[in-house]
Amino acid sequence: MKLTRKWKRTIVSWALLSPLIVLVLFPFAVMFFTAVKPPGEVLQPTWWPSEFVWSNFVTMWDATNFGRALWNSVYVAFLSTAIALVVSIPAAYAMSRFRFAGQGFFRQFLLVSQMLSPIVLVIGLFRLVVWLGLLDNVNSVVFVYAAFAVAFSVWMLQSYFSTIPKDLEEAAWIEGASPWQALVTVFLPLALPAMTVTALFAFINAWNEFVIALTMLRSQDSYTLPIQVFSLVAGRYTVEWHHVMAAAFVATLPVALVFAWLQRYLVRGLALGAVK
Amino acid sequence: MNRSILVNPYVLIAPGFLLAAFIILWPLYELGTIATHEVNRFGQLRGFSGLDNFMSVIRDPEFLGALGRTGIWTLAIVGGAIVIGLPVAMILNEDFYGRSVARVIVMLPWAVSLTMTAIVWRWALNGESGMLNSGLRAVGVLDANVQWLAQAATAFPVQIMIGILVTLPFAITIFLGGLSSIPDDLYEAAKLEGANGWQIFREITLPLLKPFINIAVVMNTIYVFNSFPIIWATTQGGPANSTDILVTYLYKLGFRFGRLGDASALSIMMFALLLLFTIIYVRLAMRGERS
Repeated sequence: MKLTRKWKRTIVSWALLSPLIVLVLFPFAVMFFTAVKPPGEVLQPTWWPSEFVWSNFVTMWDATNFGRALWNSVYVAFLSTAIALVVSIPAAYAMSRFRFAGQGFFRQFLLVSQMLSPIVLVIGLFRLVVWLGLLDNVNSVVFVYAAFAVAFSVWMLQSYFSTIPKDLEEAAWIEGASPWQALVTVFLPLALPAMTVTALFAFINAWNEFVIALTMLRSQDSYTLPIQVFSLVAGRYTVEWHHVMAAAFVATLPVALVFAWLQRYLVRGLALGAVK
Repeated sequence: MNRSILVNPYVLIAPGFLLAAFIILWPLYELGTIATHEVNRFGQLRGFSGLDNFMSVIRDPEFLGALGRTGIWTLAIVGGAIVIGLPVAMILNEDFYGRSVARVIVMLPWAVSLTMTAIVWRWALNGESGMLNSGLRAVGVLDANVQWLAQAATAFPVQIMIGILVTLPFAITIFLGGLSSIPDDLYEAAKLEGANGWQIFREITLPLLKPFINIAVVMNTIYVFNSFPIIWATTQGGPANSTDILVTYLYKLGFRFGRLGDASALSIMMFALLLLFTIIYVRLAMRGERS
């Protein structure tokens, strides 16, 4: 009896969700089916290709300068995430472990800067990057991403850190451990999941970012993946859509898979960062 | 020595604070300077010009058009994401087979770059070769191909639809957080009293979810107001500026037309508006924390 009720709920739920699910999966299907079409069939609006041309992925690699853009994206996302975490972890630790004058101000500052989008500052950021001599240099993007990631990283980390009881560290102190030893042996292992989730957020944001990269990166050699794929489409008379879709597919898949795998933890992190 | 560093919160906070403050305050100072000066297209400052740049932006008919569309854009997407997101979150909060798969699919757009999403849609919406036209014709919805992105009447609504789709995961996340905070006893008590589904929704779910809805509204307003890639990667504000919103208009002013003074003045105005949204958010969040 109970089982049948759950089955009924299952059918109703999936039926109600199905329009949304179709819409969400539609771009993925378009990407995939266009990517494997024979080049001559791409402009015919059929869904199913006459044969699956997997070699499109190989020709795409050279035709779209994919390797270079992939390397730039990996470099930018890793380095900016690392820098953001290195400065955010101590700040979040201080926010969750101490009461100090100016703490309220710092909280407000984090909230406000979390809300700020780079787009309203983009002209000022552009001049800053020119002044630093970093225009068309991937490091300019690393720097800007890292700085913009600080606010939400500190915010997210401190809400996790506050859930780790302070008693554990104090117990270690009493047993004769120095604060550093307590930090490394007691606190850091417990905080590792939080750091991983925060790092993933910073990484995905950097991997997907558009407007800063569009503004600061001016040549094929420095393009990250979103800009590279965009440059294959924008302002061209003929677009090799099967290559564009293959590139978009390969650029999207790893992040989407990691996301699907860790979805529960990521969503909880998103909620913590937003609501708390 | 070690001890003093670990125990001094200011030392721990300094690097993060300085980095974040620098990346905001320096550009803001630059923007303020350019906005109040005459400036040529290479960014060289001439004389102080007071509010001239601000006035020239406000008098630009393109600005008014973009402002109006930003209002429609923000209202429609935030409203759409709330109206669709709430029932979806309630379904995903129920216990059914395959729920975790459904959650992953619904959340998936969030993990994909907006640029890629927009480019794929741009291709799918292509008039002659697009798979949306062929899909809809196969189902019998359409008789002839529609040039979705080449005409203002369809381009903007389609962009809004994409906007709603990519905004949903965040709204649903907040609602799921809210729904899980409502104790089950309340529902059971209501059922014992003989309340029907609609009454339970109106009298229990909706009021208890209100703080979460508020937060979703304000945060999504901020995100959607700033959203650039969807419009830029589908139409770049065209045809004939008919899909420009403030952020794309700003980008064109600054990096296409070389009107740096106007662009900076517009940035400052948008910054002020965002600050206002943020203050509203902080108020709401603080109220939520207190209660």
